[in-house]
Amino acid sequence: MKGAIIKYAQDNIDTDVIIPGQYLKVHDYAELATHAMEGLDPDFHSKVKEGDFILSGKNFGCGSSREHAPIALSHSGIKAVLALSFARIFYRNSVDGAFLLPIEIDEDAYNEISEGDEIDIDISTNEIKNITKNKTYKMKPFSEIIGKIISAGGIFKYNPDQN
Amino acid sequence: MGKTLFEKLWASHIVVEKHEGPSLIYVDRHLVHEVTSPQAFEGLRINNRKVRRPDLTIATMDHNVPTNDRSLPILDQTSAIQIQTLEKNCKDFGIKLFDTNSPNQGIVHVIGPQLGITLPGSTIVCGDSHTSTHGAFGALAFGIGTSDVEHVLASQTLWLEKPKSFEIRVEGKRKNPHAVTAKDIVLSIIKNIGTGGGTGTVIEYCGEGITDLSMEQRMTICNMSIEAGARAGLVAPDEKTFDYLRDREYTPKNYESLVDFWRDELKTDSDAKFEKQFILHVDDIVPQVSWGTNPGMTCDVTDSIPSPDEFSKGDLNQKKSVQKALDYMDLKPGTPIVDIKIDRVFIGSCTNARLEDLIEASKVIKGQKVSSTVQAMVVPGSQMVKKQAEEMGLDKIFINANFDWRESGCSMCLGMNPDILSPGERCASTSNRNFEGRQGTGGRTHLVSPVMAAAAAIKGHFVDVRELDLN
Repeated sequence: MKGAIIKYAQDNIDTDVIIPGQYLKVHDYAELATHAMEGLDPDFHSKVKEGDFILSGKNFGCGSSREHAPIALSHSGIKAVLALSFARIFYRNSVDGAFLLPIEIDEDAYNEISEGDEIDIDISTNEIKNITKNKTYKMKPFSEIIGKIISAGGIFKYNPDQN
Repeated sequence: MGKTLFEKLWASHIVVEKHEGPSLIYVDRHLVHEVTSPQAFEGLRINNRKVRRPDLTIATMDHNVPTNDRSLPILDQTSAIQIQTLEKNCKDFGIKLFDTNSPNQGIVHVIGPQLGITLPGSTIVCGDSHTSTHGAFGALAFGIGTSDVEHVLASQTLWLEKPKSFEIRVEGKRKNPHAVTAKDIVLSIIKNIGTGGGTGTVIEYCGEGITDLSMEQRMTICNMSIEAGARAGLVAPDEKTFDYLRDREYTPKNYESLVDFWRDELKTDSDAKFEKQFILHVDDIVPQVSWGTNPGMTCDVTDSIPSPDEFSKGDLNQKKSVQKALDYMDLKPGTPIVDIKIDRVFIGSCTNARLEDLIEASKVIKGQKVSSTVQAMVVPGSQMVKKQAEEMGLDKIFINANFDWRESGCSMCLGMNPDILSPGERCASTSNRNFEGRQGTGGRTHLVSPVMAAAAAIKGHFVDVRELDLN
């Protein structure tokens, strides 16, 4: 899975800035996407492209349980968020609804990958390749259940007897 | 080896256990509100599924209900639609709903305990991160997103990875328990362990500093567990817990035999091991005020705004965050907290809008007036809290002091209804999150206890409430 990086070099990006509370009444996902990251980066909607990845620091997605957060990012075109760590509800929402991949990275990847870098993520080998800088990093492997829910395509397609 | 309370709750709710892996966990109570449920019900319809246990599912509307006159139509059409959608979904799927006209309406985490729906030893989920509140009763309670809401509606279960157990021992006695509150304890904990300090864990709060607290104060502590990143917070139930839930509207008929069982079973064994531990001594803690844009950016009321260097201790990301937070909050390092002037006061939310919170706040303002530069409001946590407060005459104390006295709901905690800050406005708030824009775009939030918020309303700036007579 290849894409370009949009980098927010900070910790604790919360779900209130990913999708501010006033938009939780919006049920049209395309419209919701136009407000993604509005609380942090008003230019996000104009710069994001289909297939992009977000790169950020610790505790990404902290705060509210609103699934609108991964939905808004996903419908903006974001396929994965790479972060040093994730808040757990955001993490499960991303996976259970099959909206995007939450990928835990190490400090080297966080520091060395820059805005605009072309990245190739391979979850079968747990490798993140920075094509722009020709460097490869290891991602933290998904746990057993998360890997299975991802490969099934979300919690409703996951069947423990088959997957 | 013995088991922790969390491990006992977990083990008693496993439906399917895989070796080393996730478990399918049974859900005893599912609380539903209007914001995170519409797509879940829609998913059931598309797949022609029913709600598996409508009798264990309870709904109310709280997030975007107006807090002014309930007899008026809701002006915001999108809010009105969300509320009507919940009404229709509850009717179609046979779910008990406390609607805006119900005397039992209120913030979902306030009404659960008040109605005796929240019970020790149970598992409780809700599409809201502050579901951790119910852990104060020795329940395993946590927030979930909409996909998981649908999964619980359809199956009454959830696939979960087992969190780690984290003991937070609160030792000692507060010197002035009216001025130094449960809110100050939990803000002190988050200040120390950080907003990610509890990630992947279920916290059990124990020690004299916790057992001393009333049930409503314990709820304030467990409520903010999520602000430390934890999945849930827990307090082992005791006689205070059992007394609080006795004779509530939905308290089970066999309550006393349940109490006998809970009294024996729902505690951490003396030889149990936690995977993580933190100890807070409360003897010397003082009222807390958040100054930044996450709940960990908090200091004593006697302190001054820290500099980015001082607060970040060499962590570059943290330093940048502090600088950004200070810019957003329009605060300069070195400014004493008590010199910060405020524009708005919000006493409300699932953290601090219960009867005791309103009683304590009313003591501060009795016979006084809100500063002419401040606009202040009280939003009771439920219609029942509002009624009880009115029976005690608290509404008159607040109204005479020029506070707005409102109907219940989440209100200005998250800015989904018309109760929002204007850009640049600074608010002393009893809520749980001081994120950028949380209370309205450009709004600036300082998290404090109800007594600290009330005192700030009167003076127009923060004051150390230990200097006031609060008895």
